[in-house]
Amino acid sequence: MSLNALRIIWRVTRLNFRAQLEYRSEFLMMIAIGAIWQVSVIVFATVLLSRFTGMGGWDSSDVLLIPATRMLAHALFVLFLGRMHGVGRHIQEGRIDTYLVRPMPVHRQVQLEFFPTNAIGDMTVAVGLMVGALSRSQLDWTAGRITYLIACLIGGMLLEAAMFTVVASASLRFPAADYWSRWLEELLGTFGSYPLNVLPRAVGGFLTFGLPLAFVAYFPAAVLTGHGDSTGVPYWLAAASPLLGALAYLGARLLWRWSLGHYTGVNG
Amino acid sequence: MAVLSAWRVARVTPLGELHTPPRMTAALLRLTVQIVLVASLWRGLYHATGTTAGLDRDQAVTYAVLAVLASRVRELDQYSGRDTVLQHMHFGTIVYWYLRPLPPQRYYALRALGEQVYGFAWALAGYAVCLAAGVVRPPGSAAVAGVFALSLLLGQLVMYYVMLVIDQLCFWTLRNGAAIMILIFAQNLLSGVYAPLWFFPDWFITLSAFLPFQATLSVPLSLYVGRIPLSDAGFQLAVQAGWVVVLALFTRLLWRRAARRVISQGG
Repeated sequence: MSLNALRIIWRVTRLNFRAQLEYRSEFLMMIAIGAIWQVSVIVFATVLLSRFTGMGGWDSSDVLLIPATRMLAHALFVLFLGRMHGVGRHIQEGRIDTYLVRPMPVHRQVQLEFFPTNAIGDMTVAVGLMVGALSRSQLDWTAGRITYLIACLIGGMLLEAAMFTVVASASLRFPAADYWSRWLEELLGTFGSYPLNVLPRAVGGFLTFGLPLAFVAYFPAAVLTGHGDSTGVPYWLAAASPLLGALAYLGARLLWRWSLGHYTGVNG
Repeated sequence: MAVLSAWRVARVTPLGELHTPPRMTAALLRLTVQIVLVASLWRGLYHATGTTAGLDRDQAVTYAVLAVLASRVRELDQYSGRDTVLQHMHFGTIVYWYLRPLPPQRYYALRALGEQVYGFAWALAGYAVCLAAGVVRPPGSAAVAGVFALSLLLGQLVMYYVMLVIDQLCFWTLRNGAAIMILIFAQNLLSGVYAPLWFFPDWFITLSAFLPFQATLSVPLSLYVGRIPLSDAGFQLAVQAGWVVVLALFTRLLWRRAARRVISQGG
């Protein structure tokens, strides 16, 4: 990406931010929505942790690292790549057709569609939870562990982006496929915040290989807290979660490019 | 004639759904997977625990599965139909609601009725399958079933009015996207969709007692699984009815005020 492209991205983002300020009550509520969404996940996780102690053989301070990782990865996704969620509406309204004739990659235009105000709330709560989780953790936070955690956060962000990009690619062919993105978000929120070994093996397998939700936070947290051998998958696979996230995102972007090449608007 | 026009309005959204089989297939698959996942989760959590927060394993699983089914009742893609208040406010077409021979409040109510009846058919079919498969327990007695049905009806009315308030907000704020999302989260959290309210700390239960959300789902489901005994049902039903009356009066006032804000062709 050239320096000029970065300058344009920065300018458009600033304009988008100012545009969000046009509706002040909506702007404030969007920040609140990000915070509320994250808090609801925290409350749910806390309730389960307090009622069902020793969940899946994990100590509660270790379990807390799962929602913290997932939520921070999710907040990063919302901030940087989140516009893939709901791209079906751009397709339904024919905006993609306009993007195709502009001198900027379509994916970038989609990402620059609007400023994600809710990411401010998302990020605030997620950082707060991560700080809380790290302060309660009994682990020795060496430079290696911290580096791995950062890699996992980026990997989690990319993996979540990959899943939504796949749905967005499907939406280019079947606009109603956008319906799945709402479900995907719901599944990530509900089942991404605790050890998946409490679930039956088949269900855990579905959330690992069918929908790779386990790689976002569960496997990284398991590796960090020493539960990497009891996840039901080989240790190396669990440890490679950040790498898998990056590969999945790369694959999803290739799929997006291919789908865009085969896109036909309403006029054929 | 009035009944015929009401029927035509009420069936708009269900007809839209019936004409898009892929969306229905997706809804069916989503509902099935969600039920399997939720039932597995609560069974897994109770694996090493007996009764907690006054709920045993079967009660918790029944509650959670019924919550998934109930959340299906008003989960339609209204945006695709281009008939949400938000879209009408954005494009200025809200004015047509006021030019038709049907008052906007009645049009809105009939559309919502059609959607809720359609969603209820889904929930009922899902309930029958879950009951036959032994995923959920049947109600304790005929009296429990009756009280549950009444409570569910009142809960759906509360839900309708809460959604209406959020839509009416558009007349003042032009946009309600964030408010709708906040409502969905508040509704899921405070009505017990994420987890039964009984698992939450006391302060949380007290807080939700002052809000209308628990009247939508938590009360009917708690009555069904027996967490709220029949002896307390009268009070709970009265609270639900109270919310219906308060919200009905409030939304009536808002409709009146909203009408004054609609401007046609610039004046």
